[in-house]
Amino acid sequence: MALSALAPTLLAPITRAAPAGVATPGVLVVGLVAEPTSLDPGQLTDINSMKLLGALYDTLVRFKPNSFDLEPSLATSWDRSADGLLYTFRLRSGVKFHDGSDFNADAVKFTYDRLLDPNHPYADTGPFPFAPGYYGSIAETIVVDPMTVQFRLRREDAGLLDAFTLNTGRIVSPQAVMASRKDFAQNPVGTGPFKFVSWDHNVRITLTANPDYWDGAPALQQMIFRPLADEQTRITEFLSGGVDVIFDVPPDNIEQVKTTSGAVFLSQPGPHVWWVTLNTKKPPFDNPLLRQAANYAVNKDALTQDILKGTGTPSVGPIPPALTWAYTDQVARYNYDPDRAKALIQQSGVLTPINVTFWVTESGSGMQSPKTMGTAIQADLNAVGINTQIQTFEWGAFLNKYGAGLGDEAAMAELSWMFDSGDPAHMLPNNLWGPACSPKGFNGGCYQSAQVDELLDSALKVYDREQRGSIYKQIQRIVAADAPWIFIDNQIQNAAISTRVGGLDLHPSFYMTFLNRISAA
Amino acid sequence: MQRYLVQRLLLVVLVLLGVSLLVFVVTRLTPGDPARVLLGPRATDEQVATLRVAYGLDQPIHVQYLTWLGRIVRGDFGESIQLHRPVLGEVLDRFRGTLILAVAAMVISFSVGIVFGVTAALRASSFLDRVLMSVALLGISLPPFWVGLILIITFSLVLRWLPATGMFSPTGGGDFSDVFAHLVLPAVSLAVVPLAVIARLTRANVLEVLSQLYVRTARAKGLPSRIVVVRHVLRNTLIGTVTILGLEAGWLLAGTVYIETVFAWPGIGAMLVNAILQRDYPLVQGGVLLVAGIYVLINLSTDIMYLYLDPRLRHA
Repeated sequence: MALSALAPTLLAPITRAAPAGVATPGVLVVGLVAEPTSLDPGQLTDINSMKLLGALYDTLVRFKPNSFDLEPSLATSWDRSADGLLYTFRLRSGVKFHDGSDFNADAVKFTYDRLLDPNHPYADTGPFPFAPGYYGSIAETIVVDPMTVQFRLRREDAGLLDAFTLNTGRIVSPQAVMASRKDFAQNPVGTGPFKFVSWDHNVRITLTANPDYWDGAPALQQMIFRPLADEQTRITEFLSGGVDVIFDVPPDNIEQVKTTSGAVFLSQPGPHVWWVTLNTKKPPFDNPLLRQAANYAVNKDALTQDILKGTGTPSVGPIPPALTWAYTDQVARYNYDPDRAKALIQQSGVLTPINVTFWVTESGSGMQSPKTMGTAIQADLNAVGINTQIQTFEWGAFLNKYGAGLGDEAAMAELSWMFDSGDPAHMLPNNLWGPACSPKGFNGGCYQSAQVDELLDSALKVYDREQRGSIYKQIQRIVAADAPWIFIDNQIQNAAISTRVGGLDLHPSFYMTFLNRISAA
Repeated sequence: MQRYLVQRLLLVVLVLLGVSLLVFVVTRLTPGDPARVLLGPRATDEQVATLRVAYGLDQPIHVQYLTWLGRIVRGDFGESIQLHRPVLGEVLDRFRGTLILAVAAMVISFSVGIVFGVTAALRASSFLDRVLMSVALLGISLPPFWVGLILIITFSLVLRWLPATGMFSPTGGGDFSDVFAHLVLPAVSLAVVPLAVIARLTRANVLEVLSQLYVRTARAKGLPSRIVVVRHVLRNTLIGTVTILGLEAGWLLAGTVYIETVFAWPGIGAMLVNAILQRDYPLVQGGVLLVAGIYVLINLSTDIMYLYLDPRLRHA
């Protein structure tokens, strides 16, 4: 939109004053990118709505601050049977939901049965799109005693503990779901540090502190979330003091935030990966040499510095560096080298110019600046003789196309993904596993490697993190050499906060966490 | 006259039926699937298929249309796919915001526009006339969203007199003075173009009426200038103004799309844009139908107002 292009230049020279506005001590106002679609954790699929969930609900286990290491939350301890098929959780006692009902094993069973059993009496409060992907290995949830719950699995799933940190699995109050049924999505009740007060549609959602929170009473009295759909509007509102926190400052406005007194710029690398899928089933990219050539041809440093203005770092494989235990950079690297690309194309014997179709989305969750990035990639490929034709789709149509697979229609397509469970076990089987070849999964380029498939399966049966990590490192080496994608970048999450805000740290999972520790002077 | 009204009302029903068919077909022809957009890339094809069945999207399109139409006749507009809320409530809630904004903009544009136009006409070819008409030309030429941004920078970021966005203060608020403070900038941005149009047309109309014989007669029989202008000139320029009212009301409804986005004003324009992007079929259909209905009713009431203002039409 012309508006977005124009505004940074307009705003730049004038806005040096400190955000003043309507700041009230103890009240934090957060700017969201859209009206939340629901506040039922099981229903949600968008990162924006999920920003509120950490305030309202808790998970069984959670990640420690600034890491992907687990620590107790509503469960105080857990163990796994020798065959890996039975997990036992001991629960925190004395915790109450905001509606006064007790948190116990029945609540855990209710939460997961509702998500997973289509015949559950409250299954119609869904749909719950993410649940089968994350918790599909659970066969049965068993109440042993009020403070002990067990999960019996249908197959080994070493990624399950990490999956219990996810928003989808946050524990809901059974009493509230039974009372409100479908309206629960508008009247959420959990055990979290803040209680739901009101939802003034399209204007604000108000939460109030839960003084009895088991992990310590919140420092704030109130949290308010405001939907501000236009990104320039969001920046303006932040600079004028109408909101205290905004996430994902547009690249063009970062300098401005950094030089505004009274504003603090935060950034945090996270579990995000952005790539270009290559169609491995059709010429030209059925030829590995051509796929490698495409990787050499694209200048990833220029992309991250000039287009993303440092909000991304070049990536070398399918797993983001934030997952330290599973990540390696000891893989085949494709540093920008157009001459090498041309040589590889010549070596392949394929005649130039090669004509390819490239699917690009106009926008989309986690897609950063997809059109500008697509155009830069197109220019780089054209320079080495891969004549790239861009086809642009709006996000909804794009997802449909990609989900059906590149097939005979396209040679390349953009995509990005979040590893928000901090675990490759939930992402790779969707995108690089042979049987997930689209339309069955989201392996749009239909990459097939017997070795990768076997390693992905075996990783689910190894529980030692280091050993499992080494399997994923092996997978990265194979995938990097095969180059089924052009590896582009990992996003760095950023936020602008007012200096009056304390205790707010960005977590590598990109969730809003430990909200009871946030304060506002 | 009664027959004329009945005919017009029948026509309204026909137009709305046409709109409903058009919006239904267009949303279905747009590539992209609400179930896939809602569930995101991680959902399996099975889940997408299940959701399609739940929303009736697996039915043939004519069955879907007739089912939808049947429900609307009974007052049931369905539920928004994205927001999990009834469409009618959401649309009416949002329309309230648009209405406040559009009415405020209309009041500003008409009061100021008419004063500008009449002043310029009475002092035709003077320096003041040239200044006013230059301002009007500038107003027509400026894109409303740009005017909005400039107003935000001036009055919110630099002077800090008025809030930048939204309809209420983030904490508390919601009373009249709070909404009024939030309303000033978006309403002015939205009013600029129609104000300029009205000023120019009013000037032309007044000049034309001033040259009429009955005005000269009125002056000749010694009526004070004020009475000549108010009773004889203004009254006879009203027909033209009412025509503009009908046209500009439609423009104001359309213009709110940009202004609501720039000012994060909770109105129906911004809602519709988002609903289209999310493939929220029920919300798009309900919203468009409502806006079309309002538009048709404004045109109808404009025509009825002609009958009131111009006795000659009543007997035609």
